[in-house]
Amino acid sequence: MNNDSPSLLGRLWSSVEFKLILSWLLVVIATMLLDSNHTYWNASADSAQIVLRQTVLLGFFALGSAIIIISGGIDLSSGSVIAMSATVFGSLMIVLDPEGFKAGHVSTTAVILSIAGTLLAGAMVGTLHAWLITSVGLPPFVATLATLVGLRSFSRGLTPTVAGGKSQIDFPDDNLRNALKDVTAITIVFIVFAFALWFLMSRTVTGRHLQAMGGNEQASKLSGIRTDRLKWLAYVIGAVSASIVGIIFFADQGSAKPDIMARGYELNAIAASVIGGCSLQGGIGTIPGTILGCLFLRTIIDAVQKIVGAGADVFEGMIVGIVVVVAVTFSQRGGSKLIGKRYFSDEIGWSVIPTLGLLSGLAFLLFFGKREWYAPYQAILVGVVVVGALAVRAVLESRANSSSRV
Amino acid sequence: MTPPIISIERISKHFGGTRALHEVSFDVMPGELHAICGENGAGKSTLMKILSGVITDYEGELRIDGQIARFSGTRDAEAVGISIIHQELNLVEQLSIAANIFLGRELRWGGVFCDDRAMEVAATELLKSLDCDIPPSRLAGSLRVGDQQLIEIAKALSLNSRILVMDEPTSALTEAEVERLYRVIAKLRSKGTTILYISHKMDEVFHLSDRITVLRDGQFIATRNTKETNAREITQLMVGRDIESLDLGPRSPRGEKVLEVRNLSLEWPGHARGYRLKDVSLELYRGEVLGIAGLMGAGRTELLECLFGASSLPPTGEIMLDGVSIMPRHPSQAKRAGLALVTEDRKRLGVFNTMNVGQNISMCSLREAVSGPLLSSSRERGLSDSMVSKLRIKTAGLTPPIGSLSGGNQQKCIVGRWLLTHPKVLLLDDPTRGVDVGAKAELYRVIRSLCSEGLGVIVTSSELPELLTLSDRIMVLSEGRKTAEFDIREATQEKIMEAATRSWQTSK
Repeated sequence: MNNDSPSLLGRLWSSVEFKLILSWLLVVIATMLLDSNHTYWNASADSAQIVLRQTVLLGFFALGSAIIIISGGIDLSSGSVIAMSATVFGSLMIVLDPEGFKAGHVSTTAVILSIAGTLLAGAMVGTLHAWLITSVGLPPFVATLATLVGLRSFSRGLTPTVAGGKSQIDFPDDNLRNALKDVTAITIVFIVFAFALWFLMSRTVTGRHLQAMGGNEQASKLSGIRTDRLKWLAYVIGAVSASIVGIIFFADQGSAKPDIMARGYELNAIAASVIGGCSLQGGIGTIPGTILGCLFLRTIIDAVQKIVGAGADVFEGMIVGIVVVVAVTFSQRGGSKLIGKRYFSDEIGWSVIPTLGLLSGLAFLLFFGKREWYAPYQAILVGVVVVGALAVRAVLESRANSSSRV
Repeated sequence: MTPPIISIERISKHFGGTRALHEVSFDVMPGELHAICGENGAGKSTLMKILSGVITDYEGELRIDGQIARFSGTRDAEAVGISIIHQELNLVEQLSIAANIFLGRELRWGGVFCDDRAMEVAATELLKSLDCDIPPSRLAGSLRVGDQQLIEIAKALSLNSRILVMDEPTSALTEAEVERLYRVIAKLRSKGTTILYISHKMDEVFHLSDRITVLRDGQFIATRNTKETNAREITQLMVGRDIESLDLGPRSPRGEKVLEVRNLSLEWPGHARGYRLKDVSLELYRGEVLGIAGLMGAGRTELLECLFGASSLPPTGEIMLDGVSIMPRHPSQAKRAGLALVTEDRKRLGVFNTMNVGQNISMCSLREAVSGPLLSSSRERGLSDSMVSKLRIKTAGLTPPIGSLSGGNQQKCIVGRWLLTHPKVLLLDDPTRGVDVGAKAELYRVIRSLCSEGLGVIVTSSELPELLTLSDRIMVLSEGRKTAEFDIREATQEKIMEAATRSWQTSK
C-alpha cells in the first residue's frame, strides 16, 4: 500500500528540519575555519552558552509567533509585548513591595505575584488581539500593528509614573536577576515550554485544528471547528510567550527601557518561523522546525560577529534578510531546481543586476575591508565581477529561453 | 481528407510516482466537437492542461496545424487560439465581471488607463451572447458558481479562440443554463470553432459531439464516431467492464420522522426580493432520501446552510431533530446535534490542501482518535482506513496530499469525513459535481446503504436525472420558496422543471 511513498531517508532529506541541521553544521564548521581567533575551538563552552541564551530568548516568542502563523494569522506586536511585560513586571514589583524594591531584596511573594501578573497581562493582550480579529473583524495584520505601536507607547507612559519620573526601571534585586537570567534555568523552562507546544501542535486535536484553520479557515468552520476559540488560543500563546521573554529580558538587560527594548524583535520571530519552514499562508510549519530556525539564525549572526569582529550587531538585520531570502527560496523548491530556474531573463531580472553588484561590493567592504588604501578598489572589483557573472548568466538564460519557444 | 487541427502524439506525463498519461495519441479535426470521456483519474484534465499550456513539462509531441507546439504558458496557447474553461473556476473574486473577462488584456485609453466603460460595454455584449443579463460591474465573488462559469465562458469567447477546451462545463449548471450553453456551443460551431468537450454525462456527449475519445487510467482506449456508437459502449470502454444501467437495489422502508423544518426564512438585506428563503417547511424520515431541486439562486445551498448553522445571518423558523427543537448558530452545534454537511464548493469549503488524505478524512472525528489528551495515530489511521475501504477511495494510502486525488475521490474523502461523525441526517449539496459515472454510481450506492442503516439524507443536485434516481421524495424550490413536493412515483423531469421555474407571483 505504501509502495509509492518515499523512503524514510528520502523523507528525512526533504524535511526542513534536516536541511536546517545540515546548514547549521556548515555554518559552525565554516566559523571554526574562518574565525581568526578560533573562538569556537578555544572557548567552545562559552560560545555555546552565548548562542544558547540568544536562541532560547528568541525561541520563546518565535514559537508563539509560529503557532499564530501556522494557524493562519500574523503577530506584529511581540517586540512591544516584550517591552510592555518588562515594564509591567518592574511596576508590579514596585507596587507590591516598594520597600524591598528600594532595598534591593524584593520579597518572594511579590516576585511570584508580579510574574503571574505579567503573564496575565500577556494573556490579556492576546485576548484583545483575538477580540479585535474575531469580533471587530480586523485583519490580524492591522490588529497587531495597532498594539505594536500602542503597547510601546503605553509602557513609556507607565514607566515614569511608577519609577518616580525616570524613563526606565532598573532591576532591583541582584540575586533574583541572576536567577532569572541563568542560562541553565531559562533553557530548562524553554525545553518544557517547547515540549508542551510540540505536543499541542503535533499530538492533540486542538493542534490539528489550528493547522487546519491555517490551511482553510472556511472549511474548518464548516467542519464544526470553533475557529474563534482557536484564534483566541493562538494569540494568547503568542502574547504570553512574549511576556515570558519580557521577564527574562528585564533581568538579562538589568533595566527596562520601554522606548528601545526589544524593538523590531517581532520581525526576528517571524523570520525564524519562516526559516524554520512555516508558511505565511498558514497551515504549514512545525515546532522543531521553528526551534531549528531560531538556532540557525542566532548561530549565523554569532558566526558573522566572530568572523567580522566587533560592532557586528550592525549587520544583524542584513544577515536576517539574506538568510530569510535564501532559506525560503530553498524550501520552496528543491536545491536541484534552483540551478535550472531562470532568474535574470526578463526586464526585472536585468534591472536587478546593478543592485546585486552594488550590494556585494558594499558587503565585501563592510565585512572584509581592511583599512588599506586599496580596500575600496577591491570592493569595486568584487562588484564588477558580480555584475559581469550575472550578466553572463542572464545572456545564457535568455538564449535558453528563446530556443525553447515555439 | 483535411489534416487534423490538433495531433496528440505519444504524450506521457508523470506526477511524482503516479502515471497520469501514458503515450496517448489521437487527432482532432478542424470544426468538430470532440468529446473526451473517461473516469476520474483517467487523465482527461491533465491532457487538457497540456493542450492549454498549463502543464509545460511532458513527454511526446503536440502538433497544432501540423506544427510542433511547445507552450511555455497559457499565453502561448492563447496565441495560437486555444482557450480552456477549467472545471475548477479561476476568477479574481475581488474584481468585477468585466475586469475578469479582460484580465491581462485590459482595454486602455492613453496607453496606461483602464477603459472600464469600454470593457463593461464589451462584457455586456459577450454576456448577452450567452443570454445572461448580469451587470458586468458586479464583483465576480458575489456570483454563485453557475454564473461564475458563464463568466469564464465569456472570457474564452472574448479571446476569439479557434479551439475551445471545456472541462465539464455543465457540472454546476442548471437545466436552463445547460440549454443556454448548448445554444452558445451551436453558435460557436457555426463560426467554425473546434471544441474539445470533457464530460461524464452521456446524454450531453451524445447530444453534442461528432466523435468521442475514451481514456482510461492515462491511456488512449478508442475514438468512435458518435453516430456509430451508443452510451452503453462508451461507458463500457470507460470502465473496462459492462455496467448495467444503475440498479441501486430496493429502497429502504421509511422510518420515523428525524427532521422537521417549519417556516424557515432567511433575510436578504439590500436585495429586491428581501429574502433568500421564505417559509420553507419540510419533513425527513429515517431511511429516506429527500431531493431538493431548483435552479441556481433558488435557495438550495442557503437552505442546507441554515440547517447546518452556517448561514451568515440567523434564520427564523423552527428546526426539530428527533423531536427536539434546535436552531444551530454554528456548524459545531449542528454537528453535535447529529447533522452533517458536504458542501457544494469542494475546493473552497471542503478540502484542506495542506493536509494528507488521512488527515482530511479524520478531521471531524478526531475526538474519537485520542487516548488520554493525545491523538493516537493508529486510531486515527483506523478511522480513515475504514472510510477508504468503505467508500472505495482510490488512493495510494493515507499519506499522499489530498490534492493528488481526482475530484471524485476527494469528494469521497469528505463524505467519509462526515460519516465518521455518525450523523442522523446527512446533507449533501450537489455531491456528484465533477464526479464520473463509475464513482457516481458508487456514491449512490453508498447513500442507499446509509439509508438502510437508518440515516436520513437530503440531496441537492443540478441534474434532475440524478435526483430522480436517488430520491424517495423531491422538493422543489423556486426563488427561495417551496413550490412543489413530489413522491418519486409521480415525479417527472417536466413536472419538476415546471415547479422550479414557477415564480411566486404566478403561483399565487
